[in-house]
Amino acid sequence: MTRKPYRAPQRWNWWLKNPAYRRYLLREATALPLFVYALVLVSGLYRYTQGQLAFTRWLEALQAPGWLVFHAVAVAACVLHAVTWIELVPKLLVVPGISGRSIKRGHQVAALIGSALVDAAALASWPLAGGAS
Amino acid sequence: MKRSNEPIAWGLFGAGGMLLALIGPGLVLATGFLLPFAEPAAAFHAVDALVAHPLGKVLLLAFIALPLYHTVHRLHHGLQELHAPLPHGLVALVCYGSATVLTIASASWLLVR
Repeated sequence: MTRKPYRAPQRWNWWLKNPAYRRYLLREATALPLFVYALVLVSGLYRYTQGQLAFTRWLEALQAPGWLVFHAVAVAACVLHAVTWIELVPKLLVVPGISGRSIKRGHQVAALIGSALVDAAALASWPLAGGAS
Repeated sequence: MKRSNEPIAWGLFGAGGMLLALIGPGLVLATGFLLPFAEPAAAFHAVDALVAHPLGKVLLLAFIALPLYHTVHRLHHGLQELHAPLPHGLVALVCYGSATVLTIASASWLLVR
């Protein structure tokens, strides 16, 4: 037996009028560029399995202005995701004796260190072409 | 009552969200801007070294699979919230199915290396 609860009609643009709803949907929309970014990573791993030449072609393709613009959008989306995600961490992670504010601060510091570490590791193992290596 | 898959989907969503929050901006910057302008041979050998190590394989798979599951979860629920006229089951299948297929493909590429 299936229930058929009444559902109040709602238009697709319910979120347009309220700024809080708009911010919410913008946060959810960060998933779109980040999904495409994950596909870029999958394609890179695939090109890597085809050998060094194929991987170099993949790197060259990513130098195209379109991909640079896409990655700039993806960085912005990921920063917005990180800020809003860490904002919610104290609601999910409750530790007795540690205030929600401290938990949030801790995650913010961890995120700054985490991203910096990834980029430091990248710069250390991938000397930029033409730069001092 | 049929048991829900939602806890599994949410667990992967949560793990992916945390990964993207803690290292995401740095990761996108690294592979989107630093890697393409790196010395190509050095970049290839760096990936080679990462893939050669079991822990490197696990890291690479996590960097690919967790963001995939995180983003398809949000896209799946976002489409519902926008009242997209699409069958719910089909959207779920396409979202989580594509993430799973790409994860298995990535894992197999990492394993044969």
